[in-house]
Amino acid sequence: MMRKVIGIIVIIVGLGYVFMSFDFLPVIGDSTAPAHTHVSDYYIENALRDTHSPNLVTAVLADYRGFDTLLETTVMFSAGVCAVMILGSKSHIRNRFLVPKKILKGKPEPGVSAYKTVNKDVMVTLIAIMILLYAIYVLLHGEVGPGGGFQAGALMALSYIVSMMIAPDTRPLFSLSKANAAALAGIGVFIYAFTGLLTVFNGGMFLEYGRLPFPVSNEYLHTIGIMLIEVGVTIGVMATIITILKAIIERVRFDDDRD
Amino acid sequence: MSPLIIEAILLLALIAITLAVIFNRDLLIVIITYCAFSFIAMFLYIVMSSPDVAFTEAVIGVISTIYFIITLRKIDRRCK
Repeated sequence: MMRKVIGIIVIIVGLGYVFMSFDFLPVIGDSTAPAHTHVSDYYIENALRDTHSPNLVTAVLADYRGFDTLLETTVMFSAGVCAVMILGSKSHIRNRFLVPKKILKGKPEPGVSAYKTVNKDVMVTLIAIMILLYAIYVLLHGEVGPGGGFQAGALMALSYIVSMMIAPDTRPLFSLSKANAAALAGIGVFIYAFTGLLTVFNGGMFLEYGRLPFPVSNEYLHTIGIMLIEVGVTIGVMATIITILKAIIERVRFDDDRD
Repeated sequence: MSPLIIEAILLLALIAITLAVIFNRDLLIVIITYCAFSFIAMFLYIVMSSPDVAFTEAVIGVISTIYFIITLRKIDRRCK
């Protein structure tokens, strides 16, 4: 009873604070809001000349705020490693993914068509390949359209998850163990950081794409640099999602904290 | 229909979904409803003209739902 009263009081105070602060917030899209008056104009006017990237979001994420994105990728990698460390303690019994054996008992073999006309497994396999293709499209077109490394990595992990969902005994599109997935996430972060170091070796500053050691013009150097770090982010995100997925699957139970 | 009305409808839908998530006792229903929350949020981002964030929200909403459902297989489905 006492806890409920305290909770209600906290909710009322919090909501009152939120509603009181509505008056001081700028309208969405207001060009004179404090967030839009300092650096936004510079980005909008000079992004194409500085970074040669038509998508402003990619220009800011990958070029102007490259450090930010690097540390973001590192945080995500550490999140995957932490999930393995916390959840991976009780993995001695192998557990199935989505379809337990007792449901399959008495049903046709996996691979047999489920609805007489459509083979479900073939359908799901085709969808997984489509998702993978779309992920590669998003990765390569991150500079001109919406999307980029993060979305491409999530889509790749989604295609892996979808191809794992077919049937318990079929193999996914590509197989990755938990340890290999965690190592792959580290490789993704390393690709990002190594791109930054390449410019340092060539006499520039960290992540200064104009100083990459490739014999092409300055415009293409920026494109190559952004592409390299997007590949790193893609590998990192994909491997982290698969790592956490494997950690959850291999954990036998979650409500067993007593023993 | 003006964008403000669309935004208002979407925000009201978000509030309704949140209430459904809070007051449901079946965790599977909660997870599916939460997936709908992420779907409506995606439309909200599109209305606010930020397709990059909407894209991320769509993909991550699906993946987090899958995480929750895998976890649900290993715990009690009913909420105590």
